[in-house]
Amino acid sequence: MSPLVQFWRFVKGSLAVVTQGSRGYFAWVVLLLAVIAVGVWAYANQIQYGLITTNMRDQLSWGFYIGNFAFLVGIAAAAVVVVIPAYVYRWGPIREVVLLGELVAVAAIIMCILFVTVDVGRPERIWHMMPLLGAPNFPHSLLVWDILVLTSYFVINYFIVTYLVYMAYRGRKYNAAFILPIIFLSIPLAISIHTVTAFLFMGLKARPFWNSALLAPRFLASAFCSGPALLVIVFQILRRVRPIEISDAALRKLGELLAYTMAANLFFLGCEVFREFYSASAHVIHAEFQWWGLEEGHGIAGYTWFALVSQVIAFVIFVVPELRNRLPILSVGCVLAFAGVYIEKGLGLLLPGMTPDVIGEVYHYNPSLNEILIGAGVWGVGALLFTLMAKVSSAISTGEFRYQPIEGSYGRW
Amino acid sequence: METEAPREPHDDGARIRTTTWFVLGIAAMAVLGLFSVRCELGPNVAREYPSRTLPPEPQPVLMSAPPPDEDYYPCSDCHELEDRNPQPRELEDEHDDLELAHGDLWCLSCHDLADSDSLKLSDETLVGFDESWRLCTQCHGNKLAEWRAGVHGKRTGYWWGPKEYRTCIVCHNPHSPAWKPIEPLPPPRPPQQIAGRVRAEPSEVRHEEP
Amino acid sequence: MKNRDDRVPLDARGASRRRFLRGAAAAGASALAAGPASALSFDLEAFFQKHFREMSQEDIEALQTRLERKYESRYGKPFNVASTGPIDGVVYGYGLDIGRCIGCRRCVYACVEENNQSRDPEIHWIRVLEFEREHALRGIDLEEGNPYYDHEKVPAEGKFYVPIACQMCEDSPCTDVCPTGATWEEPDGIVVIDYDWCIGCRYCIASCPYGARHFNWGEPQIPADEVNPDTHVLGNRPRPRGVVEKCTFCIQRVRNGRYPACVEACPVGARKFGNLLDPNSEIRYLLANKRTFVLKAELRTQPKFFYFYG
Repeated sequence: MSPLVQFWRFVKGSLAVVTQGSRGYFAWVVLLLAVIAVGVWAYANQIQYGLITTNMRDQLSWGFYIGNFAFLVGIAAAAVVVVIPAYVYRWGPIREVVLLGELVAVAAIIMCILFVTVDVGRPERIWHMMPLLGAPNFPHSLLVWDILVLTSYFVINYFIVTYLVYMAYRGRKYNAAFILPIIFLSIPLAISIHTVTAFLFMGLKARPFWNSALLAPRFLASAFCSGPALLVIVFQILRRVRPIEISDAALRKLGELLAYTMAANLFFLGCEVFREFYSASAHVIHAEFQWWGLEEGHGIAGYTWFALVSQVIAFVIFVVPELRNRLPILSVGCVLAFAGVYIEKGLGLLLPGMTPDVIGEVYHYNPSLNEILIGAGVWGVGALLFTLMAKVSSAISTGEFRYQPIEGSYGRW
Repeated sequence: METEAPREPHDDGARIRTTTWFVLGIAAMAVLGLFSVRCELGPNVAREYPSRTLPPEPQPVLMSAPPPDEDYYPCSDCHELEDRNPQPRELEDEHDDLELAHGDLWCLSCHDLADSDSLKLSDETLVGFDESWRLCTQCHGNKLAEWRAGVHGKRTGYWWGPKEYRTCIVCHNPHSPAWKPIEPLPPPRPPQQIAGRVRAEPSEVRHEEP
Repeated sequence: MKNRDDRVPLDARGASRRRFLRGAAAAGASALAAGPASALSFDLEAFFQKHFREMSQEDIEALQTRLERKYESRYGKPFNVASTGPIDGVVYGYGLDIGRCIGCRRCVYACVEENNQSRDPEIHWIRVLEFEREHALRGIDLEEGNPYYDHEKVPAEGKFYVPIACQMCEDSPCTDVCPTGATWEEPDGIVVIDYDWCIGCRYCIASCPYGARHFNWGEPQIPADEVNPDTHVLGNRPRPRGVVEKCTFCIQRVRNGRYPACVEACPVGARKFGNLLDPNSEIRYLLANKRTFVLKAELRTQPKFFYFYG
């Protein structure tokens, strides 16, 4: 049998695996499909009437979609956190979770690309920024750089994941000499996707709130909080629903790592806050909007403080060994860290950067229902992708799904 | 770098590793190359246009002053020589609707007592109402220079070609030259009110041909 | 382009040439119109259209004809979609006398009508900001401007006004960030947008320090009896939904030698326009003799839109 035929059997087998499962599995998949269906309906609405269905306007031209995009790039980049110790330092317990971590990354990049796609006004013209087909403004536009690194990161991670899973399916050991260089390459790429995404904002001299050298380090620090926090939660759910082996030691190791990254994240946040409020130039108005609100009402100030408080509590949990080593408490810390970073790096980054706008107008933006539904649909796609991929990979690691030299047919001849 | 058993003399791994790095390097360069294919189309590059040059500039066109008010002009219809009173005073019977707010000027600063249908320059030269700008610019000489350069006053038409200028009294009332406030056009709609016709068919307002 | 009569105004020459080309191109196009492609609602021709900067002269003429036919059927009146190029030795500059501006917004609506801006959802390329005179002691801080003032009469007591539109930066952040190169600076300094190449990502809006760029959030609506049929491919032709647009110094006018619509609409003559490379132009006079400044000079965008006073 040629390798291609064998791989085709793997694909068919995977399809069989994802169409079988417990009642809970099907309920979950149907729920996700329903969320996706609502998202598709909302997107059809947006296609029909235009982005007027969102609450973005000229005064605030990026909102919920780009906020989620910035956050999810961080989740995608955080796969590197589990890759580094596992492969570079060959640290035992964490190694079995690397694969699942990379699956999260792959799903996150798909969501990133979807969020950018739903944000553009003419999605049918996306090919205009592809090389050869269109005319990408390279190397001037950071958006082109972002597409470049995101696509490369996706291709490389998808390849690594498929290779490792397929090798496990064949019951063979992966060829380390072949795959390790590719894994090493994915590490700087993970850093680069997030750095380039930060540069996308940092490079704008029109937006003093983003025009800070600390933005890229902050992006990385917060990504390395939200990514591992998500993994700790996902792993605990997975090992409850699937007979796969994820050790407590691995989870505690991630908790320890979170202590460092959350410390860095809060430190960077403190630096920004000091610079804004101590120097108090005209540009402080964006930070004032973020922390106190402008004009009538407090705007997003409540969310900002909530994000700060939850991250501080999470930090305390991560940093005290007695707390983080108890998995339920660690989980609480992870939920808080995830929620805190989601607010701070999503709309918490977008809105103060664009409020007041460049000529001083304050527009209090809240995403429209249609926007939120589309966003939910994208998250649904990501969750579904991860569920299906995790189903296949866990079926392989438990031995349910494994290459068989066609018993029966082979035997007969 | 790898966990495996001691290396053998003919290390297959090293060869594969080198090949993988090599292929990755080529792939990276290929991707960058692909993206750079159109990089000469930078943000400040326009297309090749056929050359166009400026013709010699035609002469400006002076927009004439509005004709004098027919209710009053010619002034000599009423102003007979005998009963002329040169004394500065509050006007009561005639011209009482006239707002005089032009410094300390009084009628005869500009109008001639003897020839009421003419204006009088400071050197006693008489000029017609159609040349009032010569009178104005005696005091407002700096404005004349700016007006000639096109910086004071309004011009319409062509920045390169026939353009209309306006003399002083087209825009300024000589008796009260300061600009009078006018009603502004409506303010823009705030973003909260820009909803468009989300529920309307995009083609609704299109004009369909019969 | 040889043998032209240099004594006629710029636009008369351009128009006669276009009329000739359009007649020839329309004859060719009408022969194609009967084909099955016309039944498709999805415009394949538009979908595969090249980048404006890479079009040949024939491509552009075909595009002009296609657009003219489209607009004529939509608005029910003859359209002229020009593609007039820049003039050698001309770089446009704009001057605005903030000492004179009274904030009457005549320019705003003249611009809307000339440049076919959407009435609903409303788009205004010019925003007039009102400031407190007292605050000017601290310099113009754009954050304190108010575009929504609504007085009985203007100028209001104690206020002054700063109208803002595209500043035509020499080093423009918007053209740098555009991922598709759909916006660029022309040789005469006008920053233009290829509405058929823009993908609507709005990165340029995020990058513009002057709020000059506007997005078509919904389907732009222009009443047929108000639409201006005298247009330019890169300027005031009706725009599709989902793309960015902005001031072009009235490219359809100024490349024919005319003043922009806002200059002609200003009742106090506060708006000045001319060729920066011509030492005798009004714009050069005011740069030499007036106190001029540009907005947000510290960003080094090098606008070609100058504010002056005194």
